[in-house]
Amino acid sequence: MSEPTTGTAAPLRPRPAPDQFSREYWSAARDHRLRIQRCRACHLFNHAPSLTCPSCGSEDLAYEDVSGTGTLYSYTVIMEPPAPGFAHLVPLVVAVVELTEQPRLFLTTNLVDAEAEEIRIGMPVEVVFDDIAPDCTLPQFRPAKGTL
Amino acid sequence: MSYEFRDKVAVAGIGYSEIGRRLPRTLASLTVEACDNALADAGVGRDVVDGVGSYPDMPRYGGMQGTGEGIDVVTPHHLPHLLGIQNQVRWISSTHGMVTQSFIDAVLAIHSGACEYALVYRALHVPEGSYINFEGEYATGAAQFTAPYGFSVPPAWAAIVLRRYLDLNGLTREDLAPYIVQNRANAQLNPNAYWRGKTLTADDYLNARMIADPMTVLDCDIPIDGACALLLTSTERARDLKQKPALVTGFAASLHEGPTGVMQNLEDILEGSRQVADELWRSARVGPGDIDNAQLYDGFSPFVYTWLEGLGLVEPGEAVRFAKDGRTSLTGSMPTNTGGGALGEGRLHGMTHLAEAVQQVTDRAGERQVEGASRAVATISNGLSKATGFVFTRDA
Repeated sequence: MSEPTTGTAAPLRPRPAPDQFSREYWSAARDHRLRIQRCRACHLFNHAPSLTCPSCGSEDLAYEDVSGTGTLYSYTVIMEPPAPGFAHLVPLVVAVVELTEQPRLFLTTNLVDAEAEEIRIGMPVEVVFDDIAPDCTLPQFRPAKGTL
Repeated sequence: MSYEFRDKVAVAGIGYSEIGRRLPRTLASLTVEACDNALADAGVGRDVVDGVGSYPDMPRYGGMQGTGEGIDVVTPHHLPHLLGIQNQVRWISSTHGMVTQSFIDAVLAIHSGACEYALVYRALHVPEGSYINFEGEYATGAAQFTAPYGFSVPPAWAAIVLRRYLDLNGLTREDLAPYIVQNRANAQLNPNAYWRGKTLTADDYLNARMIADPMTVLDCDIPIDGACALLLTSTERARDLKQKPALVTGFAASLHEGPTGVMQNLEDILEGSRQVADELWRSARVGPGDIDNAQLYDGFSPFVYTWLEGLGLVEPGEAVRFAKDGRTSLTGSMPTNTGGGALGEGRLHGMTHLAEAVQQVTDRAGERQVEGASRAVATISNGLSKATGFVFTRDA
């Protein structure tokens, strides 16, 4: 999974540019922790992070550790690289994971370490962390091994 | 709600420009051509136009957003100058989301007397290079959670919906072929269709280039250079013009949004479609049983199925089988995308569906005419926020 970082001309996939809402998400990922924004007023988790809670409108949102487990909600296999940095990564499984913490708490990811035949909607998955650059880690998901 | 606008405003003219890919013409000239054709269709001149509306943005994802006036976009602030009517235009609408919001605005502007003759248009062109490549080194905003995973291409967003739909309903890609083939056959009867002259078999569909499994290139509308314009005026004035008017009986717009961890998902698309339907039937004072042809947004093929179900034209989970049985064909019980939709005509962002609905209820659909069509439903986008629905009725 690791992509070349230095000493090669191979371009990287697009990297996330953290902002005021997402900084904590990406810094947690660098520490290999999955943290999701949660509303302190109505207690619903919220992803992608935002200024206000989409459920109750509160601005009192804070990040919390989550289990890193979930189920595969749906997926697609991308055949053509959507950017130069994906040239060596296609076919690429893009997955939408429904996190265990809350119904319909969706997160977009890649499904890694999975054989094509074993992929099915509803399968249990768990987070792994892919350090794609010294300052950038992407949370990824793989079929659950039950180790989390 | 009294819905006083019901049937008071009509589409009086339809105009298409030349349609093609990488045409050696500016978007400005294509737009002017479409507008002049809509006016000629209604039998009026530029001198009557006092309103213009569009959603002018160029849809690009991750690349440079084209903003060159007359080249990448033609805004409602620029078009009056191209037509030489800047001193007579009293109402302008430049909406965000979809052009159909401008169509709604135009209906209300005419009904209120803010203007009398409004051109609602959409102009699109094929930018250079790959349409949807993510060109940036960094992904900002919402894209930071998707582009690093290669999820920056719209067909992949639709694939997430289609994969779940197929799996939940026990269907395969083979089940999808009949609708696509039938739709391409409809396009053969539409003089404006990009794909006219190129028929398709089920094998062609099953062997089509896979973009984002299960979405093939034939499940996506093709980007084109072109424009389409509709002339709206009061039903009363329209009755004195060249064509029979298509009455705007009702409309609805979605504000439904799902969780933002993914751009769109099957359940929320269905929920948004149902919400559009509820308000649409209320505003038009009709129900799904009163509809005799359906022009359903098909920028991506799965939306045809989700709209069929969301509108209540078929039972939940049955849309693919309904189409497979031929019920959506020209001779079926619910002729759908009778002109080939955007899949057959090319990407005009919903104008295709409005124009076809108008043609059906005014007996102007030629070889693809649904006999006696009296009430058409047209939907735009995917059912989520910015999606719209319309009912058009034959004039008594």
